[in-house]
Amino acid sequence: MKTILEVKKLSKYFGGLAAVNEVDLNVGDSEILGLIGPNGAGKTTLFNVISGFFPPTSGQVIFDDRDITGLKAHEIAHLGISRTFQASTLFMNLSVLDNVFTGYHLSYKTSMWRRLLRRPSALKEEEMLRQRAMEILGVMGLAPLKDELAANLPHGHQRILGVCLVLATNPKLILLDEPVTGMNLSETQTMIDLIRQIRDRGITIVIVEHDMKAVMNLCDRISVLNYGKKIAEGLPQEIRGNKEVIEAYLGKEATK
Amino acid sequence: MDNLRKKWYLSPSRINIRSGKVIGLVVLAIILLLVPVVVRSPYHMHLLIMVGINAVLAMAFIFLLRTGLITLAIAAFWGIGAYASALLAVRLGLPFWLALPASALITAIIAFCVGYLFVRNPGFGFIILTIAFGMAIVLVFGTFDFFGGYVGIINIPRPEPITIPFLAPIEFSRVSKTAYYYLMLFLVLIVVLAFYAFYASSAGRAWRAIGLSPRLAESLGVNLFKYRLTAFIISSTAAGLMGSFYAHYMESLVPNAFNVLKTIYAHVYAILGGIGFAISGPVVGALIMTISPELLREFKEFEPIFTGLLLILLVLFLPNGLLGLISSRRPVRPSESIARVGKWIRASLPVSSSGREDKK
Repeated sequence: MKTILEVKKLSKYFGGLAAVNEVDLNVGDSEILGLIGPNGAGKTTLFNVISGFFPPTSGQVIFDDRDITGLKAHEIAHLGISRTFQASTLFMNLSVLDNVFTGYHLSYKTSMWRRLLRRPSALKEEEMLRQRAMEILGVMGLAPLKDELAANLPHGHQRILGVCLVLATNPKLILLDEPVTGMNLSETQTMIDLIRQIRDRGITIVIVEHDMKAVMNLCDRISVLNYGKKIAEGLPQEIRGNKEVIEAYLGKEATK
Repeated sequence: MDNLRKKWYLSPSRINIRSGKVIGLVVLAIILLLVPVVVRSPYHMHLLIMVGINAVLAMAFIFLLRTGLITLAIAAFWGIGAYASALLAVRLGLPFWLALPASALITAIIAFCVGYLFVRNPGFGFIILTIAFGMAIVLVFGTFDFFGGYVGIINIPRPEPITIPFLAPIEFSRVSKTAYYYLMLFLVLIVVLAFYAFYASSAGRAWRAIGLSPRLAESLGVNLFKYRLTAFIISSTAAGLMGSFYAHYMESLVPNAFNVLKTIYAHVYAILGGIGFAISGPVVGALIMTISPELLREFKEFEPIFTGLLLILLVLFLPNGLLGLISSRRPVRPSESIARVGKWIRASLPVSSSGREDKK
């Protein structure tokens, strides 16, 4: 399997605190990798560093054979890594369709000045992007809600819309930060199915999630972080029985 | 593409809306052009000219607000335009018609340099930096003799008469002020068209996205810095352009006219009209705020108190502004304006917002 994302000895310090401490991570093409660990393990920080929101203190991130360490978030987005946020981060005052359309639009590589001059080619492009946005909503099951304001959607639909937005940037790799947290059982199942569908289209996925059942069910491989360090990695059934992982979650007493 | 054209031009509701808009604009243009025929008093003409200037300052504020930046340096750039133009005319003898574009260019260059340093710190940082800049610029104008000190600059030449073959030259007269009025209309029109082009273009969508959620826009590939810096330069240049006009209209300048309080007034105009209405809101707000104090002229010394009270009442009870009351269109849900300001500030501090979980 080809490696699409390689994280080498990556560290991120906040003052003296190592939020991420020399983590190595390999993500294969079209793989679903789960990233788990107790609260404060550094999972979200790792996402923030990979997606360029924080510069790393040391280490390297290689994406698609290209060193992207220290690039800005918008540059990394254009290279094909897209992410969701823990809370539903959407354009709340826009309609569902406009959200996805905006996602398409922003990721489309038109220069600011060409956009300003509104060339006919730009108008044609707009219509094409609007159609593509409708397609995505159709696939993700949000088409009937396309004219609803994002703010008025129930939580589960907002999370799905967040994934639609991410897909609109035409990514090769997506980082999902707690995609099913706060969802009920049927919403969780819908999201899991959608994530599988996305993977089947050839997009690699890394998930941070606390819902163990969903993670075990969905992921091909799982990496476990604790106090910023990677303590285990393997297939879901291996992780389930891993002594160190149980210790990290439940404390030393539990393994005795 | 063909399909799109058809939808746009042939659907009946479109035609009604568009033709309605066109008729409205034509009527508005006729009214604006006929104002000098009806309004005879030079003092009233003066007020209307000030309405135009104030409206542009408020538009400049909203323009930048749409990218999530709250500027308190509007009056500073207005002053930079005014001083640049006045100095070019007084010291170098440049005619107004050259000093006007030259001073707009100078404002743009200064806005680029200042923005390059300031725009990287959105939220609180930007507000504080622009306040500091706004105060510093008044000190600079007042302290250095080159800028005329606190007495300011006097004897700034009026715009040279416009000569058109076979017609009497158009003089800029202090008595009738008609020529100044039309020049003001022309400059406001330029700014409105420029701003409208930005809002309507697809770059406008990127700006709107930044204003709604900078973090999300960035994660989708928007270069926040570039877009914000461009908005800062355009907004400041519009203020500078009106500054140049102001200098040659007033014929004298004092530094204190450009202090931070003037920027706050620009905010009041914008909020009174409705910050969701990028162009009509400032006009309505500036019209009311410029003319109403004159109706209560006996109480003029209480005017700042009146304005302050109005601002408080507006934010508390009428966050959509006056136009928000009569319009069914709800552009950006400005009812959340206060909450949004808070959100922008929070969102611009990436450590505390996205790294929260890891810091527990």
